[in-house]
Amino acid sequence: MNPLTHTNPPMAGHPLRLEALEGQLAQRLTAHLSSGAQGLPHDITERLRFARERALASRRTVVAQEAAPVVVQAGRAAALGGPPALWLRLASAVPLVMLVAGLVFIQHHHDLQQIEAAAEIDSALLADDLPPAAYGDPGFSEFLRSGESP
Amino acid sequence: MASDKELSDCLKSVEKRAFKRTVYAVRDEDAALDIVQDAMIRLAEKYADRPAAELPLLFQRILSNATMDWFRRQKVRNAVLQNMSDFNMEGGDEFDLLESLETADGMLGAESAAETVSRSQILLLIERQIEELPARQREAFLLRYWEEFDTAETAAVMGCSEGSVKTHCSRAVHALAKALRSKGIVP
Repeated sequence: MNPLTHTNPPMAGHPLRLEALEGQLAQRLTAHLSSGAQGLPHDITERLRFARERALASRRTVVAQEAAPVVVQAGRAAALGGPPALWLRLASAVPLVMLVAGLVFIQHHHDLQQIEAAAEIDSALLADDLPPAAYGDPGFSEFLRSGESP
Repeated sequence: MASDKELSDCLKSVEKRAFKRTVYAVRDEDAALDIVQDAMIRLAEKYADRPAAELPLLFQRILSNATMDWFRRQKVRNAVLQNMSDFNMEGGDEFDLLESLETADGMLGAESAAETVSRSQILLLIERQIEELPARQREAFLLRYWEEFDTAETAAVMGCSEGSVKTHCSRAVHALAKALRSKGIVP
């Protein structure tokens, strides 16, 4: 007895009955879709295979990257016999400390040079015959300008 | 954690249906291949530590997200929203699914149907009608009946309630049956 051909019409509105009928129809439709999916062209299936292989290769790369630090740390621990994390942190801080020390030294050296240059200028002014106050006199400035021009 | 072989087998078992499902959504084979590949790589890279049993559901979820990302990139958001809106069945519709099923008696795909329309043409018509479904109905229908997820799993993939899944599926089946019947195919 086919359940579809012997359906009792008054039961049509019953939600469970309707759901079952919908399921049957859906299965028929998806059976067609499955047969269509199995008959995909060769180039499509090849591209899907390539995509799958690429995904697997990506996974291997990720897994290898996650595993790599463990190997390095284990090697450090074996070679140095101390806690690897602390040693690695200290070692990684050395270049930074050297950089900061270098910058401080350069700044200090630059300041010294500026001080020495200012002292030389002051000494030259004080040792000159002309008093320093003369450079603030407008008349003297005019005299210098007129003396420079032909 | 799933092994390489388990992941490969999982992807192999779903890739064709995933491709077709994406084609129905984006209607572009090249884009669908890119989306499926993107979903595969996302699954492999970000969920490599998950057990094998979780992979099919995760893949479907990633695929749905990747498809949505594609639509966003294509700047057709408005069109998507229009498709995503619920399918409105007209009031007083005389179409009766039960009647359709009763008269069908397995006709779809049977030899009697092949008398008038070839099998490939029937498939083409079905696929065309599935493409025409609103996106959410299509997704619910394909996940529930093609991927054979249960209602709860389908709801998890789609990010909605089980009630919504049932509604989408029911409307999709009715819409498909009605559309195919109007094309002369008795589902």
